[in-house]
Amino acid sequence: MQSVAAGSESAVHEKNSRLRKLQALGILSGFTAGAWLGAAEAPTKLVSAGVSPIVISLIMVIGVFLARWSLPALILGTSSIRADLRRTPHLIIWALLAGCIWAVANTMTIFAIRDIGLSIAFPLWNSNSLLGILWGFIFFNELRSAGWRRWAGVLGGALVMCAGAALLAIASSTQAPAAHSMRGVWAALGAGILWGTMYIPYRKAYLSGMNPLSFVTFFTFGELGMMAALAISYLGLAPLWQELTRARDVLFWLMLGGFVWVIGDVFQQYAAKYVGISRGIPLSNTNQFWGMLWGIFVFGELRGSGSSTYAQVIGGSLLMITGVGAIAFSSAGGTEQGQWKAAARRESRRYRIAEDYVDARMQGKQVEGEVRPPRTWLDWTLVAGSTAVFVAFAAMARAPILSFHWVPALLLVLATFALFLFCGFALWRTTRFN
Amino acid sequence: MPSTENNELPRGRWTSVLTDVHFWVPFAVLIGGLILLKSIH
Repeated sequence: MQSVAAGSESAVHEKNSRLRKLQALGILSGFTAGAWLGAAEAPTKLVSAGVSPIVISLIMVIGVFLARWSLPALILGTSSIRADLRRTPHLIIWALLAGCIWAVANTMTIFAIRDIGLSIAFPLWNSNSLLGILWGFIFFNELRSAGWRRWAGVLGGALVMCAGAALLAIASSTQAPAAHSMRGVWAALGAGILWGTMYIPYRKAYLSGMNPLSFVTFFTFGELGMMAALAISYLGLAPLWQELTRARDVLFWLMLGGFVWVIGDVFQQYAAKYVGISRGIPLSNTNQFWGMLWGIFVFGELRGSGSSTYAQVIGGSLLMITGVGAIAFSSAGGTEQGQWKAAARRESRRYRIAEDYVDARMQGKQVEGEVRPPRTWLDWTLVAGSTAVFVAFAAMARAPILSFHWVPALLLVLATFALFLFCGFALWRTTRFN
Repeated sequence: MPSTENNELPRGRWTSVLTDVHFWVPFAVLIGGLILLKSIH
């Protein structure tokens, strides 16, 4: 009798310990996502080199498309993706919808960067975290039964972030040309609303047990389809082709930006899976901090501005980071996680998904007896094909003539890779990328 | 071992999707985003 009770106690302890480990992993994934998403925005500075925002977005999305098929094929294998899809076929619709939202938001960010600058636009579209908290609470039971401390951490953090965003919006009116500053602000806020809502499909997928690497492969069809439609409808096929030909020297850098974005997004997906969207989005929004570092130190943004503009941008960014920190350290407790499970059961019942599958995947595990299929020739073909496309574009590329400071760029690249290796290893060790 | 695959009828699946608020909120935001993009372009 005593040994049964001890065994049960040990199982509960083990489960709680794993949940704590997964929460820490989610927080680490969010920070790593921030570094990579911030680095990915740097190539959009090429707007000042006279390339149309629509073309920039389209080329980035082509890079994203290649990365979203080759990386999952390399890490997981297409057979595993197919197996995931057979269990949750309805999620294809949400993946496509989220991909379309991403493409529209990304195009808006390029208008925003052109009109108000990277260091100002970033924090504005990062208002998406406020919306993420709202959707997480309404739709996925996040912050339910969370206790007043966690509520204070998340809501207090959100309010501090609002104050930071407002400070940065004021700074934008002194930095940007008056004729376009409001257009830039609207574009950045629009991107924030779109991205904040895009996390509804993300969270739904992970409460249904889908592997983040499977979700992104279908997501990318929405991205590429929507972006191609936008480019053709706004520019026309012949002018689009002419622009692409004219910009062939810089296409590689934009595709590389898309590739880097995908790496950040994959970590963001794991953050959304293990800490939920109300905390995962603010964490990955530390890309604002990284974007500011790239903008100011590598591209020399804000050069020649008055000291008050610097004070507003730095103060606003620090306020936003303080808010993010408060949210990050309000991780979900046992009762709130019980609410997450109730949200997951809703998905299981509505779409008839096996509960043991959902439960195992939420713990970053495979279902008992489930064997991960081996990689096939298709996986290696996808990896080789994507690599060949990148090499071909790299051969055509030339370094754009921009104000660029190499030493801070190198330091930022090293820091970004260090986070990648550390978090990637932790994810592999704990979940085998489940 | 019981199958974990989803074998429900396509019609039921579509009904579940189209009556799910998780579908309509992102869809409405996407349409709003396209309108905003057109106005700032």
